[in-house]
Amino acid sequence: MTSKHRYIALAGLIALTIGWASCTKLDEKDYSNFVTASYYNNETEVLSAVLRPYTHTNAWITSSGQVGYWRVSELAGDQLAWPIKGVDGQDNGNWIRLHYHTWVIDDQDIVLNPWVLMYTGVGYCNDPIANLEQRTAAQMGISEDERVEYIAELHLLRAFYYLKLMDLYGNIPIVTEVGTPINPPTKPRDSVFQFCESEILAYKDQVPILSPSMVGRMSKAGAFAMLAELYLNAEKWTGHQRYNDCVAVCDSLINSTAGSQTGGAMALDSNLDMTYSNTNEQSQEIIFSIAYDFQKSTFRCNFNSDFYHFNEQYIYDGTENGNNGVVLIPGTYDKFDNRDLRKKDWFYIGPMYYLSATENAPDTTKPVLGYREYSGKPLVFVDNIRKNITLAPGQNPNTLPSDMTTGEENSGVRFNKYKPGRKSDPHYFSNDWAVYRLSWIYFAKAEALMRLNGGTATQPAVDLINAVRKRAFSTADWPSVMYTTANLTMSELLDERGREFIFEGWRRQDIIRFGTFSTGTWWDHKPDNDTTRQLFPIPLTTISNNPNLKQNPGY
Amino acid sequence: MKKLASLPILIALTIALVPGYANAQNRKLKGRVLASATNEPLSGVSVTVKGSSAGTTTTPDGRFSLSLNDTATLVFSFVGYDNQEIPVSSSDSVINVTLRPASHSLNEVVVIGYGTQKKRDVTSAVASVKPEDFNQGGARNVMDLVQGKVAGLTITRTSGTNPNTSPSIQLRSATSLTGSNSPLIIVDGIPGGNLDLLQQDDVASIDVLKDGSAAAIYGTQANGGVILVTTKKGRSGPPRFDYSTYFRKEFVRKRPDFMTAGQFRQRVESGQYPQLTNTYITAPYDANTDMFDSLVNRENLTQYHNLAISGGSENLNYRASIYYSRIEGIALANSRTQYGGRFSINGKGLDGRLTSQIDLVTNYNKANLNGGGQWESALARIPTLPIHDPTGKFYTSKLTSNPISDLAQTSNTRDQATNSLDAQFNLELIKGLKAGVFGSIMRDSRNDDQYQSLNSDPSLYNDLYPGGGYAYKGSTVISDYAFTPTLEYTHTFGSDHHLSAVAGYNYQYHVEVDDHQDNRGFFNDVFSNNNLGAGQALADGKADQYSFKSDEKLIAFFGRINYNYLERYFLQLSLRHEGSSKFGANHKWGNFPAVSAGWDLSREAFMRDVSFIDNLKLRAGYGVTGNSGISPYQSLVTLTTGGQYAYPDGVYRQTYGPGNNPNPDLRWEKKAETNIGVDFSMLHSRLTGSIDAFYRKTTDLLYNYNTQLPPFVQPNIYTNVGSMSSKGIELTVSGTLIRKEDFTWRMDVTASTTRNKMISLSNGTYKLSYFGLGGITGPGALGNALRITEGGAIGNFYGKRFAGFDSVGHWLFYKADGKTAVPLTEITESDLSVIGNAIPKYYLSWTNSFVYKKWDLRVFFRGRFGYKILNAMDLDYGNKFALPNNVLNVAFTKYARLNDTYQYSNYYLQPGGFFKLDNVTLGYTFQLNSNYIRNLRIYASGSNLAIFTRYKGNDPDFVEDTGLAPGIDAQGAYPSTRQFLVGLNLGF
Repeated sequence: MTSKHRYIALAGLIALTIGWASCTKLDEKDYSNFVTASYYNNETEVLSAVLRPYTHTNAWITSSGQVGYWRVSELAGDQLAWPIKGVDGQDNGNWIRLHYHTWVIDDQDIVLNPWVLMYTGVGYCNDPIANLEQRTAAQMGISEDERVEYIAELHLLRAFYYLKLMDLYGNIPIVTEVGTPINPPTKPRDSVFQFCESEILAYKDQVPILSPSMVGRMSKAGAFAMLAELYLNAEKWTGHQRYNDCVAVCDSLINSTAGSQTGGAMALDSNLDMTYSNTNEQSQEIIFSIAYDFQKSTFRCNFNSDFYHFNEQYIYDGTENGNNGVVLIPGTYDKFDNRDLRKKDWFYIGPMYYLSATENAPDTTKPVLGYREYSGKPLVFVDNIRKNITLAPGQNPNTLPSDMTTGEENSGVRFNKYKPGRKSDPHYFSNDWAVYRLSWIYFAKAEALMRLNGGTATQPAVDLINAVRKRAFSTADWPSVMYTTANLTMSELLDERGREFIFEGWRRQDIIRFGTFSTGTWWDHKPDNDTTRQLFPIPLTTISNNPNLKQNPGY
Repeated sequence: MKKLASLPILIALTIALVPGYANAQNRKLKGRVLASATNEPLSGVSVTVKGSSAGTTTTPDGRFSLSLNDTATLVFSFVGYDNQEIPVSSSDSVINVTLRPASHSLNEVVVIGYGTQKKRDVTSAVASVKPEDFNQGGARNVMDLVQGKVAGLTITRTSGTNPNTSPSIQLRSATSLTGSNSPLIIVDGIPGGNLDLLQQDDVASIDVLKDGSAAAIYGTQANGGVILVTTKKGRSGPPRFDYSTYFRKEFVRKRPDFMTAGQFRQRVESGQYPQLTNTYITAPYDANTDMFDSLVNRENLTQYHNLAISGGSENLNYRASIYYSRIEGIALANSRTQYGGRFSINGKGLDGRLTSQIDLVTNYNKANLNGGGQWESALARIPTLPIHDPTGKFYTSKLTSNPISDLAQTSNTRDQATNSLDAQFNLELIKGLKAGVFGSIMRDSRNDDQYQSLNSDPSLYNDLYPGGGYAYKGSTVISDYAFTPTLEYTHTFGSDHHLSAVAGYNYQYHVEVDDHQDNRGFFNDVFSNNNLGAGQALADGKADQYSFKSDEKLIAFFGRINYNYLERYFLQLSLRHEGSSKFGANHKWGNFPAVSAGWDLSREAFMRDVSFIDNLKLRAGYGVTGNSGISPYQSLVTLTTGGQYAYPDGVYRQTYGPGNNPNPDLRWEKKAETNIGVDFSMLHSRLTGSIDAFYRKTTDLLYNYNTQLPPFVQPNIYTNVGSMSSKGIELTVSGTLIRKEDFTWRMDVTASTTRNKMISLSNGTYKLSYFGLGGITGPGALGNALRITEGGAIGNFYGKRFAGFDSVGHWLFYKADGKTAVPLTEITESDLSVIGNAIPKYYLSWTNSFVYKKWDLRVFFRGRFGYKILNAMDLDYGNKFALPNNVLNVAFTKYARLNDTYQYSNYYLQPGGFFKLDNVTLGYTFQLNSNYIRNLRIYASGSNLAIFTRYKGNDPDFVEDTGLAPGIDAQGAYPSTRQFLVGLNLGF
């Protein structure tokens, strides 16, 4: 080898060595998606992550068209059902199994899906909590107070997720960090209860009170409401009653110590419609809601999907129809007194007409027509679930079978509690979905007082219920329908809860607490007398992926 | 693998044909030519005087005589034998020559990864196809040239002869569930080479690295095998011009038998079919429309021109080619126009120690994408519906499509420019040691334009802007960079130990940028899509705008050692250490080793007396490859949009949350493959071939699994779990059946068989017992046709078993016991079963090449056997349920009893096997004694001439047989056509 050759070889070796060092970097750069590691640099980025779990909460706590907490809570209850109507509503038998309480551990839709939705939301909370904790406020371009508030808000929202998960599944894993531990173990229900309570107590004073800028967010008011729900159900969920604590946290809200959406004092809304209207961000009584503004965003509450008929848009002069799904179980509508304004205001029943072009009333010259069996015929919603179309002349309609499989297109009384407004309305479909509202707190306190009093009404309890109920009656009717300590029994309280909170996603929890979930009969639902069913099973897919999970007793 | 016109002969002939060197011939030279092994006389051997036009051929007893002046060099050439050059002195008068059987094919150079090798030295499964073996009939895509030429290589044109589609390519069965199953294509060293940049006359060879030991040098890109394309390069000599051209026309070979307007009218009038009311035969339903026929482009004519100039000196030579082609499909508005060029220059410097090559390639093409896809809507359209209304306008309505109106009033084109530049420099540092560097850049840029005029259906019936025009512009730019420095060392120790080694570094960077925008609600058609801002939708916030960028990087260190002892025992070792940006932080890098060995038995002493064997080599190899053919960013946690929510200021803004679960363990799918093979050549090379048997197992298959939720955020994780295997046998045989003075008949056969199995879809953490795929399109939401189960074969059809019809024509299916026939409502999941398999068990292709004097004839057959196809056409349109839309006539004959909705079952599975007369080409080569014309051949070719099959649907050759969801016929298949072509090759 000549010296020239040696130099060349040496140069080659050096080049290779440098190459080795500098040309082996394989970091991946994503250009068109945000990567967590390089996010959280300014307040908008921070808020976009802090607010992410709320849009997800929409999916399961509201009647969103997905199978989440709302659907399983209402359709396993005694007020609402989604019967098969003609060719519609088979849906893999999901709604039938919910109604008859016959779900199975590998039910993908009605057992697994709520779990997946809700734990995904836990992840949407855990992820920004960790990221906010890892960074200084200065790094993120926010104040330290804001950093603390956002972290606290996410802790509270996560507690809300665990509260509702515990309501459905009871004994569940608690995870506070994404990915760790890989196989989290099952925690007994009372531990989950304690976790929720301690989280809420620890963070309730670090979040802002409710105010116009906190609409749709978890605030101090929301924290009190969650505590009220926990304490009201404590006896059922942990075996230890906490009614005194319940009364105390309810008072914090009733006394308006935690702000309100309007900035003034929190109070019951003065009329029946305000709370559900398309301007209900101005409701005085909403404590926590999922906020929507269909004008400022493309996002709206999807309640049409479950409730609306195929031709519903003509009834309210809107644009959205639905799947002709959820209806009132026969008997529910009759629980309303005919003088009860809610009975007229919150439901569709009877012949349906186009909304008049000139006034806010049906144009009785223009009937809305059916789509399936009643195609070409007027659409008339009826308070029964049977195939009236097969009725022979002279046949008694009560001889027709009536169960979850015998519906037809027009079966059942329909939802009209949230009203989107007509399509020309400047706030069309901008209704927020109320999760907690002050009326519910009134009911919770009243119930706690009665339970403390051995299941008998006290005057303060009666006053609370009457305060809510009074809005549903004319002044003239009121004296004859107001409650007294004599007629406000526990079962009357449950019925009144049903009337006031119908469609709001509470019914399963209520009738479990009142003891009729496993023992009650409603329409074609027979008592199962099996308390196992008061919890949903841990989904099979979940339990087979995580060996540290235990199935709920009885499944 | 050689043909009559093998290159050396061509050169010899060429030189011989150039006149002007011939001297006065004043003496006779006689001689005889014998075969070396048998000493039999060889008849018909070409004997030429080098540098002269003089020449002759040997007589049946092998004798020849020639007139010569002074000294000369004689060139003896004969099919199947090595050429031999014999210098003769002025005193020689008799000369006897023995020709050795062609080891020429064994000395042929085969391209392997980062180098070349003599075929004799190859130890792994490598197939090489040279131009003389390419398919004739005009390639739409360069891969068409080798369809059926390489055992185990499946090339399927699911869109028939549509000029704007590429074939799906797969080697030795699928290897991945969610990643790429296609082979890595390397063009002149450019990884991921773009096939648009290749014209058939520019290709010098296509080499296929089939087994793991051959492909492992390409690491994570090689699970699907590797196809190496080498283009023609310059050679020293005076400038040579080569011009090739062809013209082609296509004719529909078969069309689905739907009702004609007359048949439709009769059925309406019969009153037997409640859906066929009189409405459908009264105005506007009063026409006789053959919409399918109206979509056929009868005027189709395809042309191709390629002119290459090459030449230069020993130290600097060049080849430049330019081409133009316009391919017209059988459909209206379905064409592709291309032009471009390929320029290559080779230079030597530093006393020959430095060699260099620079290639610059370009392709511009314009594709009309509007047509070619309307066949189903044309067939199903009610045939009494007119194309035009009485006023001459297109007849349209919201509920009925009018493909002719669509084609006339909408446009959809792609303008594409692809360029590549590559350079290779090699410097011999010391004897035996070379340093090389290769670099390439390739850029593919596309501009897509669409316009829907005011009167087109999509505009007329648009919800938001009825009657307003729609315009779209999109562009994509894909750039690929590669850089590969190498060191090569060759040395012979003693005289018997031959060693060569190569080591190198490889860097590849791929970056892709897309954007598109559209607008709607244009007032008139004046702007088309040249003034995108003018539409109304933009002003209303309803126009769409999008851009996206992604990149990926691949880095590797590789090395290979080839060793042979006595040219009898061969050993090859290779290792690639490779990393990809796409994999998780814990598994960025992997190692891909390979070993293979060969034993040339024919060189052993004990074989010396086995005279009928010329060459016999045993090979065995084992290699590990990977698959990085997945989307980027799958191991990272990226934030995805969650919808807008109320910010404290009351504005609704977007929210972001983690869109996937982190998987720092995401890694390549890994394939280990064992291959054993034998290469043989016998009977003086009259019979040559290879047999290969392989077993491959792919582990760590990537799939989206349900994961632990909690603690993860999302319910799925893209992770490595399953494993699958395949095994198969491949056979390639070439035989010269007849070798006479004026006539040869050669036959080439390739055949292969493969079996696949999904070994596992689960591990300790993630479980899956099956997954469905092959969604059946069309009405009825029939779900998936295929299911992959643990332990099952790939390509299994899974569904109900047909048990007949009940008295009213409703479906009956069998319960799980296979005996009880029940109506649909009683069929549950447990009654479904495997009802067939969609992957052909056997592939066969058969080429017959005849040469008679100056005529050549090639007859090429190709077939697949032993599998089923779902006749989705019969399923959807062999059913009266589809009325009043037009249906197949079989709905009233074969399927007359059926009186029920669409159901998927084995009722519609039909044997898919076929044998096809794929191509017949007849050529004539002129031997002109001309100063100007070096060679001239004209030929005529017919393609897709006849098919033998029991399959009743569309052309089974166009039904997908690669990937994981094969075997489902299309409802709107591109028509199968017969193609006729005339072409010319001219050299001067």
